[in-house]
Amino acid sequence: MTLVDLLRASVQRSPDSEAVIHRQCRMSYGALWRQVSALSRFLRDYDMRAGERVALLLENSPEYAAAYYGTLAAGGVVVALNTQAKARDLANWLRHSGATWLIADARHAELTALLAERGTCQVMIINGVEQAPTDVFDWNAMLSRTASSDSDCVPVAPSTLAQIIYTSGTTGAPKGVMLSHANLYANTQSILAYLDLTGDDSILNVLPFYYSYGNSVLHTHLATGGRLVLENSLAYPHAAMQAMVQERVTGFSGVPSTFALLLSRVKLGDYDLSSLRYLTQAGGAMSPAHIKRLKTELPHVRLFVMYGQTEATARIAYLPPEKLEEKLGAVGIAIPGVTMELHDEYGRSVARGGSGEIWVRGENIMPGYWNNPEATARVIDHGWLKTGDLARQDDEGYFFIHGRSSDMIKTGAHRVSPQEIEEAILELEGVAEAAVVGVADEILGEIIKAVIVLRAGQTLEARAVQAHCHRRLALYKVPKQVEFASELPKTASGKIKRFLLTGANS
Amino acid sequence: MSVEQQIRDYILENFLFTKDAAALNTDESFLAKGIIDSTGMLEVIYFVEDKFGIRVEDAEMIPENLDSVRNIVRFVERKTQK
Repeated sequence: MTLVDLLRASVQRSPDSEAVIHRQCRMSYGALWRQVSALSRFLRDYDMRAGERVALLLENSPEYAAAYYGTLAAGGVVVALNTQAKARDLANWLRHSGATWLIADARHAELTALLAERGTCQVMIINGVEQAPTDVFDWNAMLSRTASSDSDCVPVAPSTLAQIIYTSGTTGAPKGVMLSHANLYANTQSILAYLDLTGDDSILNVLPFYYSYGNSVLHTHLATGGRLVLENSLAYPHAAMQAMVQERVTGFSGVPSTFALLLSRVKLGDYDLSSLRYLTQAGGAMSPAHIKRLKTELPHVRLFVMYGQTEATARIAYLPPEKLEEKLGAVGIAIPGVTMELHDEYGRSVARGGSGEIWVRGENIMPGYWNNPEATARVIDHGWLKTGDLARQDDEGYFFIHGRSSDMIKTGAHRVSPQEIEEAILELEGVAEAAVVGVADEILGEIIKAVIVLRAGQTLEARAVQAHCHRRLALYKVPKQVEFASELPKTASGKIKRFLLTGANS
Repeated sequence: MSVEQQIRDYILENFLFTKDAAALNTDESFLAKGIIDSTGMLEVIYFVEDKFGIRVEDAEMIPENLDSVRNIVRFVERKTQK
């Protein structure tokens, strides 16, 4: 079984039910399936072979769902690109994945620059204008000209590749998490089991589908015949809350900054959320104060605190809502089908009560990073995923994370590699050394700070550093704080002591 | 300094990291153009509240009031005239 089989079953159960709602568009399962089949037929008519990569540069939308499942149905591999990234990163991922197709939103600000570097990649655009370049295909034209049928799906072996998700990495060594059909299917089934999702459920989704958390929300709902109501930004929290009320959604998922933002700007009790059954939270630890406030303001709602990684498809652990108060601060227990253990620095299993790195095994664990065996070898060990998260396990088996063994910065919904930003800063003339760290922040969890050592006699303004980063990197990667120092604190072996730089004013 | 100038300067400096006024069109949508993300919008709201001594209510957090320099100027002027 694959995700496509699950979607097909939902379509057969209730073709007229609403699948995806976005702005004025209310797309039914039947209509979604027609688009999926048409894209699958089209790609194969253009000789796309099984295993070829299809990059998507699309905001969350009904078309995103159709392009994703249409690619899988044709035997292709989805490479969903981060729509906040700049052309430099996008072109790098396109090259690295070897994508033969790009399906992109014509309105994307970086598209023109990206198309200049697309090489031989074929392009299809959505929301295009009539005067589109002649060498690109148009989504609507594809839909209207392609006669499709249910037999347009290519059967695939579960172990074959279904998706690549680029996570934090450097320009020279991008980290593309490979996920097989079996990975996606297994993780979807595990999540469905503990969330108890059915076709009667509907969610207001603000999470980007190109990240693993949003990806899992998309698949779980389409697998059960549920309804996805898309709101692509929380910039206007009131609008998101109104959508929850009007659509009478039963679920809402967020990262800690999602809930911090809502709690800081809206009074949840003022909205009729009587239909809301559950909340899920992942993407880093949420403060106990915010958990308590959510429980107080929404006493009828079940709150699932969860833990996961892209390398584990999405989900690894969850805390049953009835244990929330008793185990406050825990990430819970392994989800069905997943084994979670603590290991010491020599790889030995740690007894309950002790502390160690979380290692995970199960059908959800990625086979590795795309074309990056060195990075794969660092995290995959005889079928175990070494998460880099440090935790302890209490007597009843609940895991409590207390640190990370990696330098990765978690800001909002994003995981950012400090090296990637340092790489950009070092391009600036006059910069001798740079260190980038995360500094604690009430809303975002961490904000990015850069500490820079200039060459003798050189001057540079903080604003110029930010402007340079802004030209090269996604907005969320631009350092909020820039400091200059005469030297960076280092160990005897020359490694930067990053922890000494994480103070608000080091 | 006019309300518009103060808002323009703030957006240019904190989200576009430039003093070049040409980098920001008065009617440009912050969100559609990727100039500001959702937490950035929260910072804008705090700036507007702090700078102009107004309170942005839940129901006022809508694109019509906040999604471009012109929309913010109109909103601030309406609030401060009350």
